[in-house]
Amino acid sequence: MNRSKSLGVALASVLLGGGALALAGFALASATPHQAALNCVPSQSAANTCSLNLSTFPDSLAGEHGKTGGDHPDWVSYANDNLVVPANTTVDVTIDQYDSGGSLNNAFFDQVMGTIGGTATIAGKTVSSVDPNNVGHTFTLRGIPGSDKMLFVSVPLPADSNTQAVTIGDGSYTKPVVVQFSFKTGSKGVYEWNCEFPCGGGREGEFGQAMSTYGYMSGTLTVN
Amino acid sequence: MSTSTNKNSYKGLYWIWAALTVVGILIGLYAPAWLMPRSMSNNMHLTVLTMVVFSVAAAPVAAGVYATALFALRHWAHKGDDVPAPGPQVRENAVVVTTWLVVSTVLTVFLLIWGLGALAVDNGSNGKNPLVVDVTGQQWVWSFSYPGTHVQSNELYLPVNREVEFRVTSVDVTHGFWIANMGIQVDANVGTITTIHTTPDKLGTFNIRCTQFCGLNHAFMVTEGHVLTSQQFTSWLASQPQRA
Repeated sequence: MNRSKSLGVALASVLLGGGALALAGFALASATPHQAALNCVPSQSAANTCSLNLSTFPDSLAGEHGKTGGDHPDWVSYANDNLVVPANTTVDVTIDQYDSGGSLNNAFFDQVMGTIGGTATIAGKTVSSVDPNNVGHTFTLRGIPGSDKMLFVSVPLPADSNTQAVTIGDGSYTKPVVVQFSFKTGSKGVYEWNCEFPCGGGREGEFGQAMSTYGYMSGTLTVN
Repeated sequence: MSTSTNKNSYKGLYWIWAALTVVGILIGLYAPAWLMPRSMSNNMHLTVLTMVVFSVAAAPVAAGVYATALFALRHWAHKGDDVPAPGPQVRENAVVVTTWLVVSTVLTVFLLIWGLGALAVDNGSNGKNPLVVDVTGQQWVWSFSYPGTHVQSNELYLPVNREVEFRVTSVDVTHGFWIANMGIQVDANVGTITTIHTTPDKLGTFNIRCTQFCGLNHAFMVTEGHVLTSQQFTSWLASQPQRA
């Protein structure tokens, strides 16, 4: 084999290898499950304001996993994981929290952070923090350095201690704790959110299973 | 082959080695500061200096390898399909063997002593009223608290020119607390507090990353840190909400 032919074969091998790696990357990315987008509903009465309604359940029977609860019907879940909100907008969030709870393993997350006024309304009462020993989940949203806005919002969702029964989909629950708060979005970008209460089970300090799988206690917030 | 002919035939190799050594030393002197993150603390200054010293010390060795390879490609390439005759053995060349042993021993011992000294300085504290910051890693957020102040934050704020003592731990899995600009990296382990010191001496913003693969959103376990003037830091502390 002459020198130029050898060089050609080497170059082709490198290009083919790179192409195969890129293909594998695209395949993995497209295989990542994404639920249907939950769009923020524009307010009819206030400019640059929209509403986002979320729910947390002790199982996966009432949300985007379908009536059967998908692969893990007994895993805790947010009803939606793919949130879409407009840029430079006030987002009014309402979360219906149907799950029980316990103690946080990091009291940092008992505070309401990053919301307008630094407060949330929980069952009609405005608070800036909650009892760290009675938390069901948290909604913790964060940006990453490099984005023009270091978005960080964290709101604790107290454990649901109501007794009045309600049925949603195929799931039977008790009347939820209603948590409301607002935050402002910045420019376009994709942010990550997840729960910071150890509710997932598994070996990793209760941060396994539902806490370590897309579509249950974590997701994205797309600002567009 | 006579000795003078032999020496002349290696002249090219010596020149390539000398040229590459100069290039290597220049790269060693200037590349670390250019390629590495902006140095913002005593630890990072020492890390950059260590990189410079190690690179300069390695330059003649690396140049020797590259020079020999380049020289061999040009002068010692065998043409034809027949098996070449064995070349001259250097195994019993006392000058080559002694020089190689002495140089590599001196170089290795120097690097060992430098490395141990740098490590001791890196882990040391000057004991002058350090600011204590408790660092907690949790999938996938860093949180910082300032003992005695009741202040907690998801971003790190530090005063300039004051030693900081980080007490690093985790509440779920092992994380890696890494501030590249400060030249510090330490694992955050569950149930263990690991202490590390640094003294920021440049104002500005830096990133804090997790260096241990810690689960689903490991890649997003990044936050910002800020080095402020002493007055700005005091104002920031005072502006933070006090926990009950």
